[in-house]
Amino acid sequence: MRLLSYALALTALTVPPLSAQRPITVAGVRSLSFGAVLPGVPTVVPRTSAANAGQFDVTGPHDSQAALTFTLPVVMTGPAGATLPLLFGGSDAGYSQSQSIGSQIGFDPKQPFVITFSQNGRGSVFLGGTAQPVPTQRAGSYTATITLTVVSLP
Amino acid sequence: MYNASKLAFAALALVLTGVISAQGQVNGSILATAQVQTPITVSGTQNLSFGNVFPGVAKAVAYTDAANAGKFSVAGQASTPVTYSFTLPTNLTSGGNNLPIGSWLGYENTSNSTSGGSGITPSAAPTSSTLSGSGALFFFVGATVTPPANQAAGSYTGTVTLTVSY
Repeated sequence: MRLLSYALALTALTVPPLSAQRPITVAGVRSLSFGAVLPGVPTVVPRTSAANAGQFDVTGPHDSQAALTFTLPVVMTGPAGATLPLLFGGSDAGYSQSQSIGSQIGFDPKQPFVITFSQNGRGSVFLGGTAQPVPTQRAGSYTATITLTVVSLP
Repeated sequence: MYNASKLAFAALALVLTGVISAQGQVNGSILATAQVQTPITVSGTQNLSFGNVFPGVAKAVAYTDAANAGKFSVAGQASTPVTYSFTLPTNLTSGGNNLPIGSWLGYENTSNSTSGGSGITPSAAPTSSTLSGSGALFFFVGATVTPPANQAAGSYTGTVTLTVSY
């Protein structure tokens, strides 16, 4: 009975502060869309493109820190397994505490990046990139999956 | 009671583990997408043919010469701008002998015809054009050979290359 009491007391001490915080979440909001691409012509999507940049919304405990890590594809895959090379530059990702695409801190999506959640515990991550089709690129639809991992930091 | 305590600890452990796991790391995904348009293809459809040439007598083939003018057809994405350029020989060759070729004239059209389009200068720097509504473009090329009086007899050839890009 004493052990049970300790357990309940520990639970009472531990859970309420955690449940009062916004949990860490990440949601894919918008695809990184290159639109119509001409063979042999690189197509660049800036991370500031409201229509075409990729977007993730993240939440976490206010004022806490978290590490962002992308899993980036090197190609998009299209018809009959054809591949379309993708490039990500050193400032192709951006983080906005205010969730405004016009107010970002740029970072390298190939490297982990530490963010600080705002007072309201929300933020947005934006991603641009470059599609580099070869002159003989097969026509059709190409896709790839981009994953963002968010790890809370102590 | 002892069992109840163990159960309580187990439940607590599960709760804490779940909380930590749920708050420690999360993943989200989006797609990268692209719609690749039709690639450009260039086909040489007819050789530029001067036929019989006599030493000391220049011979011209007009781009309007249906039987002898050089012809190219281009296919690509409909109604899309392109840039084109020619790589032209300065001589036709036969073994070690040269037959000078120059005075290039050409014509481009969105239909396979030498009317309704535009005259071009094949030797010019890269030039812009636009593919037709069906993604087609046609080029016609004529030139003049100027054999000297002592031109060696033989069969002479050269390569004319058309390069087109978006």
